[in-house]
Amino acid sequence: MLETLPTFFREYDLQADIRTLLLLRKAMQKGLVKTLGDIFNVLKGIVVKDPTDLGPFTRAFYEYFLEIDIQNGERLNDAIIRSETFRKWRDEYLQENDVKSPELDELVTLFLDEVHLTSYDIKEIISGKDIYDQDDPYLQDEFSQNGDEGAAERMLDKMADYSELSLEELMRRMEQIAKEQKSKHSGGSHWIGTGGISPYGHGGAAKAGIRVGGSGGGKMARKVLNDRKFFPIDKNAIINDNNVDAALASLKGIEEESSESKLDITATIKNGLKRGGLFIPELRNELNKKLQVILLIDNGGYSMDPYIRTIRELFKKMKTRFAHDLETYYFHNTIYERIYTDPQRRKALPIERLTNKDPNYRIFVIGDASMAPYELDRTSVNTYLKLKKKFKKIVWLNPEPPKYWKYSHTINLIKQLIDMYPLTPKGIETAVREMNKKHTS
Amino acid sequence: MADTTFWTGSEKYLCEKDLAQAFHMSRVLGMPLLIEGEPGTGKTELPIQYASDLKLDLFVYPVGSKSNVEQFVARFDHVKYLRDSQVEILNAQREEKGLANRLSTGGRNPESLSDYVSKGPAAKAFSSPNSVLLIDEIDKAPREFPNDLLYALSHRKFILPESGEVVEVSEENMPAIVITSNREQELPTAFKGRCIYHYIHFPDANIMREIIAKHHPTVDTDVVNTAIDVFYHLRKLGLERSPTTREILNWLKYIKQFAKPDAIKKINDLEGVGALIKTQADLIKIKNS
Repeated sequence: MLETLPTFFREYDLQADIRTLLLLRKAMQKGLVKTLGDIFNVLKGIVVKDPTDLGPFTRAFYEYFLEIDIQNGERLNDAIIRSETFRKWRDEYLQENDVKSPELDELVTLFLDEVHLTSYDIKEIISGKDIYDQDDPYLQDEFSQNGDEGAAERMLDKMADYSELSLEELMRRMEQIAKEQKSKHSGGSHWIGTGGISPYGHGGAAKAGIRVGGSGGGKMARKVLNDRKFFPIDKNAIINDNNVDAALASLKGIEEESSESKLDITATIKNGLKRGGLFIPELRNELNKKLQVILLIDNGGYSMDPYIRTIRELFKKMKTRFAHDLETYYFHNTIYERIYTDPQRRKALPIERLTNKDPNYRIFVIGDASMAPYELDRTSVNTYLKLKKKFKKIVWLNPEPPKYWKYSHTINLIKQLIDMYPLTPKGIETAVREMNKKHTS
Repeated sequence: MADTTFWTGSEKYLCEKDLAQAFHMSRVLGMPLLIEGEPGTGKTELPIQYASDLKLDLFVYPVGSKSNVEQFVARFDHVKYLRDSQVEILNAQREEKGLANRLSTGGRNPESLSDYVSKGPAAKAFSSPNSVLLIDEIDKAPREFPNDLLYALSHRKFILPESGEVVEVSEENMPAIVITSNREQELPTAFKGRCIYHYIHFPDANIMREIIAKHHPTVDTDVVNTAIDVFYHLRKLGLERSPTTREILNWLKYIKQFAKPDAIKKINDLEGVGALIKTQADLIKIKNS
């Protein structure tokens, strides 16, 4: 019944596929999975690949395994309290345990502890094979309601180890139990019910001091759900545009000499043979590809707002590709004599700091180049001329669709100063190709 | 047989339960454990302490911007090989001329190519079963490195250059592999997919208390509590570089030489705060707050 898991988790923008299931199965075979808390842990290790996956993962897990649907921004406690699963659990818990006027919050904590109970928390593990053999999957509800026969062999204070069973057996069993459960929860070795000696159950195992300290899983789940850090900033920002990747990858670097020298094997052998077999090592300076990129981003003015997402995406891709060799500066509408090192444009740098750099830098200016005509004054034009003179590999990427370019006076002007391309995968590709053609002397 | 017992830390190192479980899981499944998290949360410490606690061989590969898989697996020393083969010829000529003294090849034999293969940490770890392999700060690597690494690791087999020697390890004997990253660059999705991922949360005050107890067991509880209060207050200020576990431990090393009332006063006066705060801008920010 786990075959729906990848699809379900993918809806939360998590990476889950058949491999996830295979790994989960392997973990089960290796005996890592004995409780629901174990499943949570194992899946977390497999599925979560970034701190921002933790939030969606926790939500997906609660909905998939416990049918607790946590709404956006809702506290875990509230979601649990209003869930059917918790209501059933509470009823049974109160029936079994003689608790007078229980605090709701305490019950939730108890519930969470049981959900996140892992096999690491359990000292004593008994063989589950016997229980499995004795357990009757067709057990009807009235059976456990009637008498105590079931309870006698349940051994509530022990934890069942189902690792000897094959996964298929376990899955079949779970499916069967799930069908039974549709009607009503029963005790015994069943899935989401109490009397937890079932591999996915909870309840009994927490009793009689079997637990070594409280399990931290529940606490962590609460923390994760209440912290924005563990949710992606913008789910839709994930554009899988491999064209852009490919275009950026094709940016060619310059070969740079370093002080390290390497043995030139080919030359050594060739010259050695010419010398009649006397080989003298020939050394050659090691060449390293070097690629330095500067991004100049126009982040001022309302006109740029609609493109922020695209730009952020490109920026992210660039950051990944040129992790150590990317410099980013900001400007407002057009560049005068200063650029800024921070997006808030508080820390200014004179433009000379840019023009004094190595002419081999590749420069991407990103902006809509649309402004009031008076803004593009002589100073600004001079700056563009200076940049163009210094850096042969400079391009302007404009998020504005090209069909509107001709209506903007300033776009037409800037286009003549610096080669302009649309900020689309295709545009970036062309820009990069043109950049590679130009050689600096 | 590789060690797959559950390890929860040692006398000196507090391994949080979550991390311990993820680490255990990665060893049982024979997959690398990728640890990310803020600096100073003990990412690198885990494999080091694990190896020293269980007395296992530890192989470390610190990743840099020039790292490549060759350094990681094995390299063939062409220069030495060339030298030795020339020395052999020379020695033969000398012998012909009846000269007795020979030049040494340092015990290496040009006939045996494997003498010239210098093994990197990966090949070493794979040839010693039940060892620990740490790949530190993989985010510093060039972009291709993680994927090359992945290929090497997932086949559990290396073919050494020139000698063709095969270093292979069974799934059971896989070394415990721990990879750390400070998230300076995104790692490829495929790479992450082959690892067990764990994100270390910054320890809360209670855990910090336990960590401190492991390192400075003699320090008075009140002193520790005061220091922790100040420490977490500083972390909340939104400094350029927030103080980390390492820094509070160093600070306490300084503080603990004073008697109790004195020590508490020194903490509240932020004496020796240089141990905690590492940039000028942050120091100014604290003075003003």
